[in-house]
Amino acid sequence: MSFALILNLVWHVGTLALIALGLAIVFGKLRILNMAHGEFVMIGAYSPVITSSMGLPGWLQLPVCLLTVGLVALAVERTVVCRLYGRMFDSLLATWGISILLREAVELIFGRGYQSVSLPIPGTVQIFGTSYPAYRIAIIGCIALGFAILAWWNSRSMVATRIKAMVENPGLAQAVGINTGRLSAWAFVFGCCTAGLAGLALAPTIRVEPMMGLDYLIKSFFALVVGGLGTLEGLGLGAGIIAGTQSLVGAALNQTYGYLAVLSLSILFLWLKPDGIHSALR
Amino acid sequence: MTGNLAKLFACAALPLALASGPVIAEIKIGVLVPDSGPGGLFGPSTRNSAMLAADKINRSGGINGEQIELIFADVGVPPAEAAQAALRLWKGEGVEAFVGMHDSAVREALLGRFAGQVPYVYTPVYEGNSCAPGLYITGETPSQQLAPVIPFVMDKESVSKWYLIGHDYNWPRDTNALARQFIADAGGDVVGEEYVPFTVSDFDSSLQRIGDSGADAVLVTLVGGGSVGFNVSFGSFGMDEQAIRLGTLIEENTLAGIGADNANRLYSSAGYFGSIETEAAATFAAEYAAAFGTDAPALNGLGQSAYEGLMLLAALANKAGSLNVQAMDAAAEGTAWSTPRGDNTLKGRHMAQTIYLADGTGGTFTIIASFENVSSSEACSS
Amino acid sequence: MASILLYASLLLAVLLPIPVLFGDFTAYQIGLYLIYGIAAQGIGFLWGKTGVLPLGQAIFFGVSAYAGAMSLRIADGLALQLAAAAGIVLLLSAAAFVLAFLIFRGRSESGPYFSLITLALAMIAEQIAGAATEFTGGFNGFSGFASLGGLDPFGNLYYIIAAAATGMSLLLFAINRLPANLIARAVADNEPRLQLLGFPTHTVKGLAFAFSAASAALAGILFASHQGIVTPTSTGFALSAELVILTAIGGRFHVLGPLIGAIVVGWASAELRFNFPYWELLMAAAFIVVVLKAPGGIAELLEKSIQRISPDLPIEESDRTGAPMPKGRRIVGSLEFENVHLMVGVVRILNGVSFATPDTGIISIIGPNGAGKTSALNAITGHLRLSSGTIRLVGDRVNSRPPWKALESGIGRKLQVPSVFNSLSIAENIAISMLADRASWADYLRTDAFNWRSEELSRVLNRQGVPLKNSNEKQAGKLPQGHRQFLEFALAIASKPSLLLLDEPCAGLSPEETALMTSLVREFQENSGSLVIVIEHDMSIVEATSDKVLVLNHGEAIAFDSYEAVRNDPEVVAVYAGGTK
Repeated sequence: MSFALILNLVWHVGTLALIALGLAIVFGKLRILNMAHGEFVMIGAYSPVITSSMGLPGWLQLPVCLLTVGLVALAVERTVVCRLYGRMFDSLLATWGISILLREAVELIFGRGYQSVSLPIPGTVQIFGTSYPAYRIAIIGCIALGFAILAWWNSRSMVATRIKAMVENPGLAQAVGINTGRLSAWAFVFGCCTAGLAGLALAPTIRVEPMMGLDYLIKSFFALVVGGLGTLEGLGLGAGIIAGTQSLVGAALNQTYGYLAVLSLSILFLWLKPDGIHSALR
Repeated sequence: MTGNLAKLFACAALPLALASGPVIAEIKIGVLVPDSGPGGLFGPSTRNSAMLAADKINRSGGINGEQIELIFADVGVPPAEAAQAALRLWKGEGVEAFVGMHDSAVREALLGRFAGQVPYVYTPVYEGNSCAPGLYITGETPSQQLAPVIPFVMDKESVSKWYLIGHDYNWPRDTNALARQFIADAGGDVVGEEYVPFTVSDFDSSLQRIGDSGADAVLVTLVGGGSVGFNVSFGSFGMDEQAIRLGTLIEENTLAGIGADNANRLYSSAGYFGSIETEAAATFAAEYAAAFGTDAPALNGLGQSAYEGLMLLAALANKAGSLNVQAMDAAAEGTAWSTPRGDNTLKGRHMAQTIYLADGTGGTFTIIASFENVSSSEACSS
Repeated sequence: MASILLYASLLLAVLLPIPVLFGDFTAYQIGLYLIYGIAAQGIGFLWGKTGVLPLGQAIFFGVSAYAGAMSLRIADGLALQLAAAAGIVLLLSAAAFVLAFLIFRGRSESGPYFSLITLALAMIAEQIAGAATEFTGGFNGFSGFASLGGLDPFGNLYYIIAAAATGMSLLLFAINRLPANLIARAVADNEPRLQLLGFPTHTVKGLAFAFSAASAALAGILFASHQGIVTPTSTGFALSAELVILTAIGGRFHVLGPLIGAIVVGWASAELRFNFPYWELLMAAAFIVVVLKAPGGIAELLEKSIQRISPDLPIEESDRTGAPMPKGRRIVGSLEFENVHLMVGVVRILNGVSFATPDTGIISIIGPNGAGKTSALNAITGHLRLSSGTIRLVGDRVNSRPPWKALESGIGRKLQVPSVFNSLSIAENIAISMLADRASWADYLRTDAFNWRSEELSRVLNRQGVPLKNSNEKQAGKLPQGHRQFLEFALAIASKPSLLLLDEPCAGLSPEETALMTSLVREFQENSGSLVIVIEHDMSIVEATSDKVLVLNHGEAIAFDSYEAVRNDPEVVAVYAGGTK
């Protein structure tokens, strides 16, 4: 039975890391506190609802998800977020408003009711004597692969460096020919898309409704805080600590203590190690 | 400015008034529904049910010969704002009685402000034991939902080891305290009990505990989205093979969110389901479909409770001869009337009613048993 | 003072007739909005002035409401109830002070970490309030208590609330004119500069947070009486966010802004909720527009359309009075580095630097870029912690103490890039420098301190050619960089430091201004007898001003002698090989 505990842990850490990744890009690179991040998880989770309501085949869920989330994110960036670079607290307030707008918009289109998304891969498989949902195993594999590719790309690509240059010195970055406006927009859209992907992956395993985003927002903010900004290892550690605390304390004592432990741990980190555990290890 | 805005948006509210028809209203009744917040899901079906009730009351002569008009207010907001919305109807719009479908915190806030000066019917499922002058209750209390159902289910499914899981607040705790007693009486054991904060959306560790406990039955008192999340995970882990589930607040919307894949051996106990096949219930469902179309928000126990509330108000006010709280309190005990739920009697301010047990297997509710005239043990003494 | 009373009587004139004109129910509604408004005023004070955004004010609101409700259940008689209320407010604001003090200690900015901590605390509070059913009544709430003094929530209680809102506004208007307000604003503007002027900014922020907590707690007490029930939502995240939104929409920079915001938003959402099912959509859109287009909120829009009533500082030089003496140590003496090592991460910045200056005079530090010159100054003022070694001033160890303690030891500093309070006027900048190390607690609550002038400061300000005269009202941020150098110099010398650290004071100055600056530095040194340390690249300035020159290279002191001796030192020549500079 303890192996199921490990698999649960991997599942929660993986999905949380995926959500927090987008938040880390948007907050770490653009200094935007995106309170609407959870709503992009929500929109991603609605993409199977979109495909089935339009009668599209199931394999289109992924492109529909990326397209919908990407377009909404681009619209949000171009209309609101692009005016907020360098105004961190204002970005928090404005995106709080955006999160309400997105919730209400989804409610207008799909209604407030719960949506049921069926599992693309039904049933359970036996792993080391534990029966575990096959779908979750598949998603864990995809997330692991995705992060491996990202780590490889991050170590080789210039884009991360450019974004960093842009945030630290927008004037200079512009002067050396980096299109800061376009780069910011893409970074924001990319960040929101990872949230959307996480939403799509989670959809068959959770409740899907307009208000679902908030849970994920708070948790991924804390994962970010604990892990520290700027590195993938930190992100993984942060997600691991937050999801792990909830899972382990939740399993050992009860869910209420698990929740309180996550909050208390986050407070301690914010207070004593505001740059996160990664900086503490260095 | 707000005046203009009000005019502008009044048109948005127009279609909602259609079902009531052009009546010359003499009595205004405030109907408190959750339009915003987590309960907002039940706003539309609650409004619709209330309008059907008003129509029915007016067609059968109104209250003491006077026609009624409904005025709705959104109480899906925190208690302070909800109380304001209700007081606005009472003090501002001259509402003479209230029917409310909202959470218990709002009820407690309203009771403090109404102070027994205005009749108030509280309609949703709740934990019981709320007693105040002028307060009448149609909602099912835990004893009604569990006393007949637990022995029945244990016998039918041959289960005896119960695991109790609920959200961390009053209603689940009160429900489970009673459930323990009914389970023991029926010869079963409680092998685990746990409460989950509203903010927790992952139930994996709870599911693991349920698996480890060897339970063959789970009593679910999670509400709304939490219930959906729990049951979805329960199904995807294949735990429906290990244990049956019984919920006391799983209605049609929650079941839709859980989905057919995850609803195997999922039972629900309530005073109303959209699929009750008695003549009264079928007529009601047909009228609902005729008035609001086939795409209308699904009928469910919470939304339909507003209908019950208005019918109780009418029956009681007609019996008392007025909407005066003292007169109604004096006449209340033993008031009897019939609704889509069946034949009801008011006992200790609470409604003794028929309780239905439904099976959600396949994603829709099938009524498998009904228990008539079940009275509440959490009713008021007087 | 007159305009404070004007505001207050205007506010009372608006609030008092409401029950008579619009009836009890409207007064009841406005009462609730005012209660939220009082809590929001506290947020406005904290956020608008110090720049600290609290996301969990409902902790104080809710805990106070619960405690107030419990005390109302137990305590009989108005006097006892008011005493209990006062006790609750005091306790909560003390707790808030300790929280902010601990979190902000050792930091010089107010990043999002504090906001997130308060948010997490609110979430914890809401969870506990919901689960501790025995004490709080759980989700269903805590009820069954009479209101304060048995007042009718639909009647006389309104006047108590209106009085509280007016009282809070009066207090805020009064604070606005005090030196305390200036210091609070300076925190948001330039916290590192304020620390160098000797202000423990974590204490300032702690006090501001305590004040905001007190206003939230006061609102919570009133809320309990007004509602007759307290539920976990009163102490949770949603209410906290709501209060911030009220503050932002109403305007955080103005005393009445949050009150206006609470009434406008409360009223609009009550109307819309009643008439329009998607009212949240409209409210959210309006909120976004305010954040993007009018960060100062409704109050600022109103203020712009009316004439600005400016509170302002007296400007007649003849009104100036002598200031009290600085409280800290002002003993002139030698600065000693003893084998100072300094590492940042893995980079060695200072590598065993040792020297001892004469007791007085002007010392220049020169060296190529990256030699560790500015880091040496940062080590003296405590911005960087030494890896090993000791720095002594007149025999006392000064290293590894927080920057705000530097001035207490007599160390004044001008930073490399001119660091002044950009959003404040020149007069306000100067007033802060005069409060530095001189003001007692009471002085922050008296306007007298605005008239203070020290001899050192007057000498600079009155000096022919110093570009600060007759522009008292001008915003410091609008000055050209060169002028800001003079302003920062004035701020640094106002409290007559015994050790003055100047980091490239002549950068960006014209030749005339450079001459003026060097003569100001020399005059300050001659008049005060202080020790002055200057980082300078221009060798002609070094030659003209220095009594001794310290040469740093790669984190090591390679020479410390007179200008002539240093110029002929072969090691120094090697470092500067090929250049005359």
